[in-house]
Amino acid sequence: MLSDLQEPQRQDSTFDGPLDGQFLKLLLEASLTWLRTNQQTVNSLNVFPVPDGDTGTNMVLTMQAAYDEISASPERNFGKMAHMVAHGALMGARGNSGVILSQLWRGFARAVDNVEYLDATGFIHALSVARDTAYKGVVRPVEGTILTVSKDVAAAGEQALAKTDKLCDLLEVIVQEANLSVQRTPDLLPVLREAGVVDSGGKGLFFIFEGVFRFIHGQSLDAVVTTVQPLSSMNLENALETIEPGQDYEVVVDFQPYETLDLPSFYGSLQEMGTSIQVGEGDGIYRMHIHVPTEKRYHPIDYVMTVGTITKVAMENLLAQMGRIEPSCSENQNKVSPAPVDPGQIAVVAVAPGMGIARVFASLGANAIIEGGQTMNPSTQEIIHSFENLPTDKVILLPNNKNIILAGKTASELTVKKVAVIPSRSVPQGLAAIMRLVPDGDFDNVVHEMTEALDEVETGEITIATRNVEIDGVEVQEGQIIALLNGKLILSSQSLEDACLGLLEKAHADHFELITMFYGENTNKNEVYRIVDRVRIEYPKQEVEIQEGCQPHYQFIIAIE
Amino acid sequence: MSSNKEIAIVTDSTADIPECLVHDFEINVVPNVMIIDGKSVEDGLGFTREQFYSCLPEMKPIPTTSTPATGTFEQLYAKLLAHGKSQIVSVHAASALSGIYNSARLAASRFRGQIHVLDSEQLSLGLGFQVLAAAEAASTGASLERILEVLQYVRLRARVIAMLDTLEYVRRSGRVSWARARLGNLLSIKPFVEVRNGKVMSIGETRTRRKGIDRLKELLLNLGPLEKLAILHTNAESDAREFLDDLNHYIVLPAQPMVVNITTIIGVYTGPNGLGFAAILKQ
Repeated sequence: MLSDLQEPQRQDSTFDGPLDGQFLKLLLEASLTWLRTNQQTVNSLNVFPVPDGDTGTNMVLTMQAAYDEISASPERNFGKMAHMVAHGALMGARGNSGVILSQLWRGFARAVDNVEYLDATGFIHALSVARDTAYKGVVRPVEGTILTVSKDVAAAGEQALAKTDKLCDLLEVIVQEANLSVQRTPDLLPVLREAGVVDSGGKGLFFIFEGVFRFIHGQSLDAVVTTVQPLSSMNLENALETIEPGQDYEVVVDFQPYETLDLPSFYGSLQEMGTSIQVGEGDGIYRMHIHVPTEKRYHPIDYVMTVGTITKVAMENLLAQMGRIEPSCSENQNKVSPAPVDPGQIAVVAVAPGMGIARVFASLGANAIIEGGQTMNPSTQEIIHSFENLPTDKVILLPNNKNIILAGKTASELTVKKVAVIPSRSVPQGLAAIMRLVPDGDFDNVVHEMTEALDEVETGEITIATRNVEIDGVEVQEGQIIALLNGKLILSSQSLEDACLGLLEKAHADHFELITMFYGENTNKNEVYRIVDRVRIEYPKQEVEIQEGCQPHYQFIIAIE
Repeated sequence: MSSNKEIAIVTDSTADIPECLVHDFEINVVPNVMIIDGKSVEDGLGFTREQFYSCLPEMKPIPTTSTPATGTFEQLYAKLLAHGKSQIVSVHAASALSGIYNSARLAASRFRGQIHVLDSEQLSLGLGFQVLAAAEAASTGASLERILEVLQYVRLRARVIAMLDTLEYVRRSGRVSWARARLGNLLSIKPFVEVRNGKVMSIGETRTRRKGIDRLKELLLNLGPLEKLAILHTNAESDAREFLDDLNHYIVLPAQPMVVNITTIIGVYTGPNGLGFAAILKQ
């Protein structure tokens, strides 16, 4: 997807002069544009073989919010402008990487407080304060992530400052170091190495710096990526998520180029035909993926024939494919009605990834529901809104996803209300916690009880792998069904039924009392009944409950307790 | 056991005081009324509690309850006064949950200041322990003022908590407003309720019985030292005994803890297989 923004005006010459607030605006716009151009690349770097929180999308939305905050401001003072940027980023922060990005901005702004014009020393100082602030914003900082990149960049900047005080030269060092640091992330984080990718958040930060660099060197910001991903990492599942109206066909072409592929011109040509462009390479075979409108469905094939020998073509009508899926979760059916809450009572805000799950939370006393979960992390702002719409000032948040906990914590610090974030990492954990809700109880006691309840349930998740990978000794082929127990990949299978039964066996479900199966929005209902019947036969002593969850991506979310 | 000749103690059948103690302390218990298929049956007559709870899930129409008639109280009060009592202390189920208290109060208004009707703000042995304390005080010749003080003192320390096997019976009773709002979408829910300040409050849920029993234990242990304890259940005798035995490993139990299959007048609203306790905190 291309930017709605005008490409910022190029200003090669003025960069080394002291920078004012208006110049910061230009730089921010440049990095936002460049990040957006490369959004899909960042998205495709998921570290786990499930459609994880869209890092690129989250970072773009965070940067967009930051930009929106200042786009109309005439402010010339650099420090004041930076504070506005930080505020906007904080309000718009989505997902873990978005929250960390907003913390980087916060530190950056703090360092340039009262700075009218930014100079080289001030810039490098701000990078180190940004790094410190980001590290402090995370309970257990993990190396090999965006944090590491921010640290390496700050260190490289400090070293370079001894040799030059030219912003332009410093920036070059920083961009180079960001790139190297991103390349090193798999050495620090085994999960990245196993998956054969670099860290997505770190890569996003690299694009932000690189956007500024390209801008001051007058390079194009909206020309699409000219890099090729490994074939195995092409995240076609995720691409399906982002169908735009009018782009009805998905076309995938495998080909061998006649000669070295001229990527910029290749991308440029494809871009005139459609969206969601991805190019992958493995063993000399290239794979091109694109979404195109009906009338252009043969264009990409014709075009690829001009640059190479086509070995395989796959074309899918996305709309027809969507229609084929039985809509088990009709949207207008049973609107969710959250429980009422009175002033002075404790309210619960629950993040729910599907209507069915939202209804269950509401029935158990949730007073507000935020839609969200995997690949759709709510922003800090949305979370704050949900707090502020409640008539009480005591609020408990159930994020129900590991990627939303941090945004929840940030939101809790930005409201005048008394908010506790119970770190529920899954829907079953959230349900176990809300069971302990006593709206009229003592706040601290209730929070304590709810937190204790998190460990009372085992969480099973059944989903489809989006890449070939080996993790924890489990080998997974793209498109296979995989099962996760308490967030850990435990098996892969060709059949949904075998995955469910295998999961229950590994979870020792026969030692428990109750198995609750929430089926997803795209899970075929007949198959659900068939599988649940099998589970009932295999587990005659356990109560087996079946619930419509309507969650995307996960065929089943299973609570074992 | 000798009793204060001047003061009589009256309660109703929701107090769940075991028969032997009723007899020993000369407590006057007015029976509530069960209405089964249009016929009125006095609490405790016609069938055992065990029989009632095992039939309850199949009973149609669902049985309902009724308070003793004001006339029943009036007759009892008149009889007690005629037998030489100068004062009557009449303690009843929480007025917000039942009309028993009002029925008694209306009856008492026919007499001139000799009858003291009190709202226990409790149910089952949460009420029963208050009545027993008053009767014990009366039996040792305590004054009316002293008896009223004792009642208030015990009332403030009474705790009643229960785990129901299902929300269904509370919900259809229509007596508890949150039960409608919190009608679970989940089929398997064990609601926890607490009777406090005359109200039944929801204090969360668990999804399985085993976890529910653990939580019940935790809630009880959190209360600290106890003066009195009764394990309450609705046809869950073995669970109740096991629960009590288990508690022995954690705390020094009060003397003579009871295990009570509670009155059908309350149990019809909780449903079978419920488990809970009534406790009086140590001073």
